Amino acid sequence: MLMTRRLSVCVAATVLASVPMTMAGRAAQEKRTSPDISGFWELNFDSRKVPPATLVPAVTRAKIDAHAKGDAYAIRWCNLLGVPFVMDSGRPLDIRQGATAIIIVPENASAPRYLYTNRTAHVSDEIFDPSTNGDSIAHWEGDTLVVDTAGFHGEHGITSIPGGGFRTEKSHLVERYRLLQDGALLSITFTWTDPTVFRRAHTYEYRYHRLPPTYEPRQWLPCNPYDDERAKFLDPPPAPPKPAGRAKE
Amino acid sequence: MRRTVLALVAFLLALAAPAPFRAQSPGPSSTRLEGDWVRIDPDGVGSFDGLSGVVPPAQLLPGVAASGRGGRGRGAGGRGAPLESTGPKPEGVPYIVVAQPCSGGVGGRSNGALLVNPDSGGVHIIEQKDEVIFAGERGGVRHIYLDGRAHPSPWTPTPAGHSVGHYEGTTLIVETTGFTAGAVPGGGVRMPETRLTERFELSREGTRLTITYTWEDAKVYQKPHVYSYYFDRAPTVQSGGTPVSYALEEWCDAGDPIEKQSIVPPKQIIK
Repeated sequence: MLMTRRLSVCVAATVLASVPMTMAGRAAQEKRTSPDISGFWELNFDSRKVPPATLVPAVTRAKIDAHAKGDAYAIRWCNLLGVPFVMDSGRPLDIRQGATAIIIVPENASAPRYLYTNRTAHVSDEIFDPSTNGDSIAHWEGDTLVVDTAGFHGEHGITSIPGGGFRTEKSHLVERYRLLQDGALLSITFTWTDPTVFRRAHTYEYRYHRLPPTYEPRQWLPCNPYDDERAKFLDPPPAPPKPAGRAKE
Repeated sequence: MRRTVLALVAFLLALAAPAPFRAQSPGPSSTRLEGDWVRIDPDGVGSFDGLSGVVPPAQLLPGVAASGRGGRGRGAGGRGAPLESTGPKPEGVPYIVVAQPCSGGVGGRSNGALLVNPDSGGVHIIEQKDEVIFAGERGGVRHIYLDGRAHPSPWTPTPAGHSVGHYEGTTLIVETTGFTAGAVPGGGVRMPETRLTERFELSREGTRLTITYTWEDAKVYQKPHVYSYYFDRAPTVQSGGTPVSYALEEWCDAGDPIEKQSIVPPKQIIK
């Protein structure tokens, strides 16, 4: 019994001696590490809070319709669809936080997004080709990941923005990512500014639910632009024939 | 007394435990696979057919039909299916024509097949403790799970299969199965039961990546079919005086008729 008591005291003393170092080490670790938003994330039916955007008068009905037509074209031909669509594509996102970048991987026809944490400036527009996802740089402000994206293409992919408006080459997007409810939810607020589209900054929020870590992304959903049945389904109906002109009297 | 000590030890150990959902500190960049890579031509063969030609021929079992040498048949990803081209073309008729641009086989460019047999497009690796993402600029992503999960059963075969991996030092070992039937470089063949082992090995300087592919299938191969591809870190470009490297987004519009023709010879002026 005396041996057991001495052994127990030794164990406790050893652990006690390591606690200050462990706690100091942990504090230092938390100071230099950031939250990890890695995981599989999904939107639910009640995940979106999107107010209507306030558009400049120059955004006419005709311009909105033209962008909608472009969106339909991008879907029909399985083009890369880009931001903002990739963040609400109907399938979960796989987000992986690496040392130099955070990658956001959709399950369908969009290129993954790279949020670069290893640089603080956008690639110069003298060399960056505008793209459907733009160029994203990210940094942590406490527990919030702030992502700044510019360099969007004004016509490629799905350009319509939730709440109204559309992205152009002048569009600028700031996103703020925060984990909520002990990591069960990922809140992302999207703030779009574009003097050619929005009268004031347009902000909306999505809250993604964390899926089980054993989730398997689905990668076999086809997008074949040469599938005749699919083309028939998506192509617009043919325009009605014009009525014959009146004969001259 | 014993219970009190055990409870104290448990409490102190809990204090020392890492908080959930906190990121790991990054290691030195030279020891990490993470980053941007481009496939190189170390033997100077100068063409893709030449690169395919340096892959040793697969030793198939009798009765197993070899695939084309290049292993880039339907479903292997890429720009699309070429038309047969015989003889010179008349003036003004394109002489390199792609029948289905941007198609990349079943699932379009997003099915990850191209990352099983990478071509000249840049590739990008993001490492996280539970999963490595291997992505390509020419389309598609492979998920390589490090979280100890098994290959699912049942599993619907896909062009990229299902991959699990682990590290041995700085080398990433990836095991993949569950492929759709198709071709393998070197005239090989793969079936859903075929197993692919890839070794992603960094050079000591961290500037050269070697991926060694080992295909095994007792119903297909006489012996494991092995070959290697080589990659260098992607070159940087100067942006505002700073060297940067980033993933390009390769745009391809299947609906654009111009995409269906690569080169139209200009009118020849004969003097």
